[in-house]
Amino acid sequence: MVVIFGTLGYRPKSLIPTIRSTPNVEKVVFYYGIDHADKEASSKVPEARKSVIDYCKNMKIAVDPVELPDVYDFKNIAMRIRNDIRKHKREGKEIAVFNIAGGTKPTSSAALLACILEGVPTVYVHDRTYEEIHLPLLRMEYNEVLSKEEQEILRTLSKNRSKDLTEVELASLLNKHKATVNHHIKNLISKGAVRLEKHNEDARKKIVRIEESAELLLGDDL
Amino acid sequence: MRILISTFREGDLEKLTLAMRRLPYDKLVILGTAPDTGSTSLSTVRMLEEMAGHEVEVDELDDEDFLTLVDEVSAVLSKHSLDPETNKRNSIALNISGGSKLLGDASLFAAFRMGIETYHCENRVTKLPVIRGATARDRFTPMQLELIRAIGRGQVVYDNIVRLMGPASKQATDRLIRELKKQGILGSEFRANRIFVFLTDTGREVLNAIRLAERTESR
Repeated sequence: MVVIFGTLGYRPKSLIPTIRSTPNVEKVVFYYGIDHADKEASSKVPEARKSVIDYCKNMKIAVDPVELPDVYDFKNIAMRIRNDIRKHKREGKEIAVFNIAGGTKPTSSAALLACILEGVPTVYVHDRTYEEIHLPLLRMEYNEVLSKEEQEILRTLSKNRSKDLTEVELASLLNKHKATVNHHIKNLISKGAVRLEKHNEDARKKIVRIEESAELLLGDDL
Repeated sequence: MRILISTFREGDLEKLTLAMRRLPYDKLVILGTAPDTGSTSLSTVRMLEEMAGHEVEVDELDDEDFLTLVDEVSAVLSKHSLDPETNKRNSIALNISGGSKLLGDASLFAAFRMGIETYHCENRVTKLPVIRGATARDRFTPMQLELIRAIGRGQVVYDNIVRLMGPASKQATDRLIRELKKQGILGSEFRANRIFVFLTDTGREVLNAIRLAERTESR
């Protein structure tokens, strides 16, 4: 099954050209949401949603409109979209393209991020000409930028997120020498994936914390 | 030196001040298009920085085309990557929450291209999963990079590639071509009894990343 993903704001014309130009589309999944601070959004977004649904129904294409509860919550939008992409891939569906032209800025950027992390072909539609611009994205694969040991440390930190783990405690959990763990932690700090925080009770100790961004990078693979 | 580079347009003062409060910096660089670089909000930012004894550097960009914008943002990131006085590497944080949607997306794209630490500051600060220092170049072997460089932006006849890649054998070069074609980096076509090999759009993006990284390193 060929599926198209997209983000939608006021303008159905930012999404429909992609449905038209992609061969053998059987399903369209699009993300939309209402910015309650924007007076026009409450009427224009539902109108745009209806137009896309009508177009798909007439073309006999299945359509799945996904309402986002907060169109400015970058992290949750990125995670939601990434999980949906993965679900479709697991089910053996082919994601032909993701159109990131519509929706709020955080929605569009979050979709772009999910596409980079999942290696999904991405298009942008020009505001005025409605011309499709294919983005030459390279998939960002964490196993190419993180060693196995670094991935293991991140997984352990994420699983033990509620605990205040020091490097020594982490080494013990991983059954590795503390010098080895120290070496990998330094690398992970330089890559921006973990940070050290002061221990509340003992100023000599440092707690190792995983950055939220590292969890976004690793996604469900944690 | 710590540099905060932020996308910006009129009305983004709140997003920018959130980034300024939460991300430590020594120098502030604003990325925006012509109308926004003369806006009232920007005057307020200049005033705030003057009060702290600093100036704001403003880089004006052309907001017309996505990929041109990606190149422009990459050039700004590259320009600020080294401190010209000390020749030491600057620590750059990029905030993509301001400016147009096109500028925000192009900036995120450029951040992945260059391995720059990136944030989205709007109501809350979200650090994005760009691995610092990791670029498209890191995903290829030295031989693959050499082949991408050898092909460059044009179309190269297969026999010439084998010659350019010497002393690597023809078999080794064939294997490299196959690997890169499988990854969508190379394309080929048969024309006038000859095989032409070329970089795809993604391949050209890798070439950009290679050249930008080399330019930054050679400074």
